[in-house]
Amino acid sequence: MDQLVYGFVSLVAGAVLTVALPRNAVRVAVNLATQVIACVLILSQTIPIVMGSQPLVGALMWSYPIERVDIRVDALGAFFLSFSLPMTLLGTIYAVGYLAHDIRGPRHVGLHFALLSAVQVSYVIVYTVQNAFAFLVGWEIAALAAWLLVIWDNRNQKIRFAGFNYLVSTHLGLLFLVAAIMIMHGMTQSFQFADFAAFLGRSGLSRDICFVLLMTSFELKSAFFPFHSWLPRAHSAAPAHVSALMSGVIHKAGLFGMLKFILLIGKPEPWMGWYLIGVSALSAFMGVLYTISQRDIKRLLGYSSTENVGIAGLGFGLGCLGLAIDRPILVALGFGGGILHILNHALFKCLLFYGAGAIYRFTHTVDLEKLGGLGKTMKWTGPLFLIGCLASAALPPFNGFLSELLLYLGLLQGAPELGLGSRPFLPVLALLALIGGLSALSITRVFGLCFLGVPRDAHHVIADSREHPCVVGPMVIHLIGILAIGLFPGFGLALVEAATRLFLAHAGPEVAFATLVPVAWIDALALVAAVFVSMCLALTVARRLLLPASDRRHVTWGCGYGSPTSRMQYSGASFSQPMAYIFRDVLQHASREDLPRSPFPKDGHYHTHYFDAVERALFKALADGEAAVGRVLGRLPEDTRGSFAAGLVTLVILVVLVTRR
Amino acid sequence: MDLELVQVGLIACHVALVLVVGPVFLVGITNRVKARWAGRRGPRLNQVWFDWLRLLRKTPVYGAPTSWLFPLAPIVVLASTLTAALVCPVVPGFAPLSFDGDFVMFAYLLGLGRLLLMLGALDTGSSFEGMGASREATYAALAEPSFLLALGTLAWASGSLSFKDLAAVQGGWPVAVTLRAAIAAALLVVLLVESSRVPADDPTTHLELTMVHEVMILDHSGPELAIVQYASAMKMTLLAAVVASLANPFAAGGEPIATVAATAMTMVLLAAIAGGIGLVESLTARLRFRALPLFVLASFLTVAVAYVVVGQNAGATQ
Repeated sequence: MDQLVYGFVSLVAGAVLTVALPRNAVRVAVNLATQVIACVLILSQTIPIVMGSQPLVGALMWSYPIERVDIRVDALGAFFLSFSLPMTLLGTIYAVGYLAHDIRGPRHVGLHFALLSAVQVSYVIVYTVQNAFAFLVGWEIAALAAWLLVIWDNRNQKIRFAGFNYLVSTHLGLLFLVAAIMIMHGMTQSFQFADFAAFLGRSGLSRDICFVLLMTSFELKSAFFPFHSWLPRAHSAAPAHVSALMSGVIHKAGLFGMLKFILLIGKPEPWMGWYLIGVSALSAFMGVLYTISQRDIKRLLGYSSTENVGIAGLGFGLGCLGLAIDRPILVALGFGGGILHILNHALFKCLLFYGAGAIYRFTHTVDLEKLGGLGKTMKWTGPLFLIGCLASAALPPFNGFLSELLLYLGLLQGAPELGLGSRPFLPVLALLALIGGLSALSITRVFGLCFLGVPRDAHHVIADSREHPCVVGPMVIHLIGILAIGLFPGFGLALVEAATRLFLAHAGPEVAFATLVPVAWIDALALVAAVFVSMCLALTVARRLLLPASDRRHVTWGCGYGSPTSRMQYSGASFSQPMAYIFRDVLQHASREDLPRSPFPKDGHYHTHYFDAVERALFKALADGEAAVGRVLGRLPEDTRGSFAAGLVTLVILVVLVTRR
Repeated sequence: MDLELVQVGLIACHVALVLVVGPVFLVGITNRVKARWAGRRGPRLNQVWFDWLRLLRKTPVYGAPTSWLFPLAPIVVLASTLTAALVCPVVPGFAPLSFDGDFVMFAYLLGLGRLLLMLGALDTGSSFEGMGASREATYAALAEPSFLLALGTLAWASGSLSFKDLAAVQGGWPVAVTLRAAIAAALLVVLLVESSRVPADDPTTHLELTMVHEVMILDHSGPELAIVQYASAMKMTLLAAVVASLANPFAAGGEPIATVAATAMTMVLLAAIAGGIGLVESLTARLRFRALPLFVLASFLTVAVAYVVVGQNAGATQ
C-alpha cells in the first residue's frame, strides 16, 4: 500500500517538476526518472496480485464530501495497472525519440511530458479506488490529459478540431457515467462501490437503466461502433505515441469499467450478455470493415481499435451469459479471452502506432497511396511492423491468435440454459471468421503498401533519416511481449488467470481454472507454435545450404510493358475495391472522375473518398438541428421583454410539472 | 495387429499422403482427366514431381523491387502448410496432433501462409500481382466464414471440438447424411476457391488479368516457385482430405481393419475428388469475378442449411 502511495506521489511530483524545471533535456530526464520510480514501486505490488496473491486493501481519509476513499487493488485492477504503467513509460521513451527535434528546440515540451505523467496518475486512481467520486476524478484527468496530448501540434486547425471533437465525445460519455452514478448514489446514498454492488446485485428497472447507461459510457470511452467517430480523427491528429497510448492503453479504461461493473453486478441477466455480444460483434465487424478503405495509416489503426475492443467485448458478453446461467467454462473462456485480448491489443497496437510514427518521421506522410518500398530502408521498423500486423490479424503463432482462439472455443460451447437447445453461438463464430478474413486483407494492404514494392511518390522519401533508438526500443519490447504470449500460451493465460477467477467466483460452485483451460491443451498450442517456428528455421537453413541462391535481379514482369513507373503499382484503393464493392451499402464513398475520352484523350483523373457514414450522419443531424432551432428562433418576436416573460412562464410550468407527484 | 503398429502405420500414411502422394498425384489426376477430356494423352501422373525437381535446381531471378520478404514468404507458406497438416485428419479419425479448437488453428495457419504469399506478390511492385493479391484476399475472407461455420456445425453435431473427430457424426439417413452431404458440398466450394480451381480461378489461363493465384507468383522462379507450388498442392490435398473424410464411411481408431479400410477409402476418395475437379474444369468456364462472391455465398448458405438441420434434430447426431 505504501509503495502505491509513494508511486503516486512520485508521478505527481514528476508532473510538477517537468513543468517547473528549466531546459527541455532536464525536464524529460526528470520525467522519465519519476515514471520509472513509480513503475517499479507500483509494479512490485501489482505483479504478485496478478500472479494470484491477496488483493491490496487500504483507505484514504479526505475532507467533505468524499470523506473516505477505499483503495482496493484486486487482480483486475492489478492486471490493468501492470500493463498500463510500463506501456505508458515506453510511450514516454518513444516520445523522446519522436519529439527529438522539439526537445532540442526552443519549445517547452515539459507540459507534454507532464501530461503523460498525469495519464499515469489517472490509471493509479481509476484502477484502484472503490469510490465513485474519486473514480470520476481519475476518469476526467485521463480525458483532459488525453485531449491536451492530442493537440500537441495546436497550430494546425484540423488537429484542434480533432481534439475538440474528442473532448466533446468523451464528455458525452462522461454524462452517461455521471447519470448512472447519480442513480446509484440516489438508490444507496453512498459513493462506495461496495454499496453500489448491493444495489446492482438486485434485479430491477433502475439496475437495468444503470447497466445500459454505464455500458454506453464505456462504449464511448473505448470507441465501440457507433460511438467511434471521434477516434479516427483523434488518432490521425495526435503524435504517434499519443495515438498508441490512447488506443492501446488509455481507452482500455472503458473496458475496465465494463469489467468492474459486471463484477459489481455479480450475476448479470442473460439479456446483458446478449446486449454486449450484439454491440461488440457489430463494433468488431464495422471497425474492420472501415479499416479496409482507409488511406491514412493512423486512421486505419484507429478503426482497428474499434474492431479489437469489439472482439474483447464479445468475450465479456459470452462471460456474462456464463455468469447468468452458471456455466464456468463460458465465464473462463469469455472473460479469459476478452481480458487477454485487451493486453494483446495493447501490445500489437502500440507497436503498430509506433511503426506508423517511425514512418511519419521518415517520410513525413502516413498516406498509404504515397508510400512504398520502406522495407528496404527501414531495417528495424519493417520486420517489427510485419509482426505487429500478423498479430493484429490474429494469426498464429502470435499473441492475437491465443485470445481469439479462446473466444472461438467459447462460441463453440452449447448453451441449453439460454433456451437455445444445445445450440452454440455459431452465427457469431462465422462473423468472427469473416472479421479475421477482412482483417487479413486490411493488414496485407497496409504492410504491402508501406513497406513493399517501390515508393509511390518519390518526393516523400527522405533518405538520410535514421531510426532513433528511442523509437525502435519500445517497439522491440512490445515485440517481445507479442512473442512471449504467442509462443508460450501458458504465460499469457497465467497473466489473466487471477482476473478471470474473480468472475468465476460468481459462477456457481467453485471450479478450478486449470480444469476449464487444461494444461495439456496449452501445451498442445505451445507445441504447434514451436513446430511452426522450428519448421521456418529449418526450411530457411535448408534453402540456404541446399538450393541455389543468387542475386540476379530483373525488372518485374509487366506483361510485356517495358517502361513501368512506380505510380503503376497497385494502389490501396484498388486493393480494397473488390471487398469494398461487396459491402458498398455500408462502406459508402464519394467519387470524382474525369475519365479520358475521345480518340485523343487528355489527362484524366479518378478520385474516391471513403467517408465515415456514422460521422456524416452525426454532423448532418447536428447541422439540421441547428437549422431547425434557427428557424424557430427566427420566428420569435424581437421584443425581448415579451420573450423573457414567455420563457419565465414556460419555466414555471415545467418546474410545476416536473415536481408534481 | 498391434495397436502401436496401427498408430505407426497411420502416421506413416499421413506423412506419405501429405508430403508426397497427395501433392503429386492430385494435380496429376486432375491434369490427366482434363487431358483425356480434351482428347489428349496428357503428361505422366507424377509430372509435377519432375517439374519441382527441375525448378529446385534452377538459379532464381528476383524482381528488381523485391526486398528481404520475397524469399522469406515461400518458406513461411510451406512451414505454415506443413504445420497445418499436423492437425488435419487426412485419414478420418486420426491426426498426429489434436486438441480442442485445432480446426481454428488449421484455418488460421493456412491464412498465415496466404497472407505471406500476398505480401510476396506485393513485394514485386507489379500491378498485376497486386491485383491478384487483392482478389485472393477478398475471396479468402469470404470463404473463411463458410469454412469455420461448416466445421463449427460439425463440432456441434458430433459433440467434439477437435478436428479429427468432426467427421464422426453418428446417425444415418436423413439427418447425418444430409448434414455430411451439405457440409461436404460447401467445403468443396471452399476447396475450389482456396486452391484456385475452376470455376473460382483458372490455373491454366494465359491472361494475367483473369488470374487470381497464378498472377501472384508470376515473379517467383526457381526454388521459390517450386516451394510455392508444392505448398499450394499440399494445401489442396489437405482441404480435399477434409471433404473426403466427410464422404468416408469408415474412420480410423477402434478395429484395425476399420483403420485400413478408412485409409484405403481416403485414397480412393481423394482420387475421385481430383478427378471430379478435372471434370469440372473441363466442363465449366471460370465465373466472372463479380459472380464469385455469390458462389462463395452459396457455400455459406449450404452450411447454414446444415446448421438448421442440426438445430432441428438436436442430440440425434452425437
